[in-house]
Amino acid sequence: MEKRNFRHPQIFHSTEKFWLGLRDRKFLVQRCKNCEEIFFPPRSHCPKCLYNEMDWVELSGKGTLYSWSEIHIPSRNFDVPYVIGIIDLEEGVGRMVSKIRARVEDLRIDMPMKIDYEDAEEDLTLYVWMPAQS
Amino acid sequence: MKREVAIIGYGALKIGKYPEKSDNELAIESIRLSLEDSGVPKDDVDGLFTTPNYLDRMGLQLSTIAEYMRVSPKSMAEISCGGTAAGLTIKYAMNEILLGNIDIAVCYGTETRRSMIEGYYKGKITNMFEPTTQPHISGGTIWAYACSARRYMHEYHAKEEHFAMAAVRDREAATKNPYAYFRTPITVDDVLNSTILCTPIKLLDSSAARDGAAAVVLASKDKARRFSDAPVYLRAVGEHHDNSLFVPTDRRDKSISSFTATKEAAKDAFKMAKCKSNDIDIAEIYAPFSPQELIIPEDLGFFTRGGMIKAIQDGSTEIGGEIPINTDGGLLSRGHPAMITPFYESISIIRQLRGEAGKNQVEGAEIGLMHCEGGMLNNCMVFIFQRG
Repeated sequence: MEKRNFRHPQIFHSTEKFWLGLRDRKFLVQRCKNCEEIFFPPRSHCPKCLYNEMDWVELSGKGTLYSWSEIHIPSRNFDVPYVIGIIDLEEGVGRMVSKIRARVEDLRIDMPMKIDYEDAEEDLTLYVWMPAQS
Repeated sequence: MKREVAIIGYGALKIGKYPEKSDNELAIESIRLSLEDSGVPKDDVDGLFTTPNYLDRMGLQLSTIAEYMRVSPKSMAEISCGGTAAGLTIKYAMNEILLGNIDIAVCYGTETRRSMIEGYYKGKITNMFEPTTQPHISGGTIWAYACSARRYMHEYHAKEEHFAMAAVRDREAATKNPYAYFRTPITVDDVLNSTILCTPIKLLDSSAARDGAAAVVLASKDKARRFSDAPVYLRAVGEHHDNSLFVPTDRRDKSISSFTATKEAAKDAFKMAKCKSNDIDIAEIYAPFSPQELIIPEDLGFFTRGGMIKAIQDGSTEIGGEIPINTDGGLLSRGHPAMITPFYESISIIRQLRGEAGKNQVEGAEIGLMHCEGGMLNNCMVFIFQRG
């Protein structure tokens, strides 16, 4: 049986816009309407001041590779091996965990990376990161 | 007189597989052994504290045990907080004794394949992660530790061989520990050639879940003097959370090649115990994978950043070295019944301080440190024990 190669995330009303943004090939994060903190991951309350109203702003989709691992553990949902990485976002708002599309021999810690999008199912698009030079 | 708290007894089952026994039976056996070791009659137990066991979904685990052994505690709690749960039962019991609410407490817990599979692994493990992380993850939590390892390799030029040496050190200690599960000697090549799980972590770099049950008896100084010839005093507890969930996603100035929560918990523990890292004779650290066997001792202040790379090669952390670490096999070779590993770590320290560690005995050990963690070292506890 073909594997899905992803797990369906928990999506809530407060974070829906993030996932809808991915469908439009946009990487959206929140900016607090009270303290203007820009943050990732998306959520209902600002982690800095706990205010509960946010705007959405688009990030560049650029970053660097903070670390990575190639997962070999057999899985019901995933074809292995595949690479997972931690991306330092260029704008400095934080880090994100993502599947990485690259050959492991091409990966270097701190190398420039860029975002790309993959339609996982009809109404779910996920991001994947890859070396910026590819 | 200032109240003080000592551990005056312990009981533990050899880590292994107990499919034919119920979790309650395992719990009772460890409690029985701990009371026997302490000399405390069961009717004198006035505090009963345990780790979560998700087989009992109604939270009545302690009632079951109280009924089972016919005791009437005046203080009880089932404490859940990931990997630090067992450490928190000890802290809770200590505080109850210091407050004067109780005099003698038993802290116990069980972990079995049954409790792990039927309890928290069934569909729940991925929900531990932040929702944006969830779509990408398979294989539990190893990926995070693997990323930590890779970053550490990058920053300090560590090699996979160095991680393997920590696994070999732990196994060497386990071969002489009758309570350990994995006791067949291994070499660095065995580790390097073992099945790849999440690069750079391989099978023999990893801890394995096994069944266990363990208990410790805590007492006020008065009671400790009455019942015990060899009390081990609980000098300090430090605890810290780094406000991250596995990988720190919110800021880029946080590290995974060093763990803030461990550093802060250690700082508080040393302050409370009025001692420094070089006063510690032995340490038990909670490293589920071999790379963290290098990182955590640095965070505890035993070595400078990157200093464990040399230390793992020159024997500094072996028995007879400057600071022996995981002298009965650690999580990697003792076996890792996750929720109750901190009990086994505490027992390892107590056995050392009481001079009962047999072939693994560190001569003259007087002060021991126990470290435990939850998440990927997001919440950490550091305990300091001293021979009475």
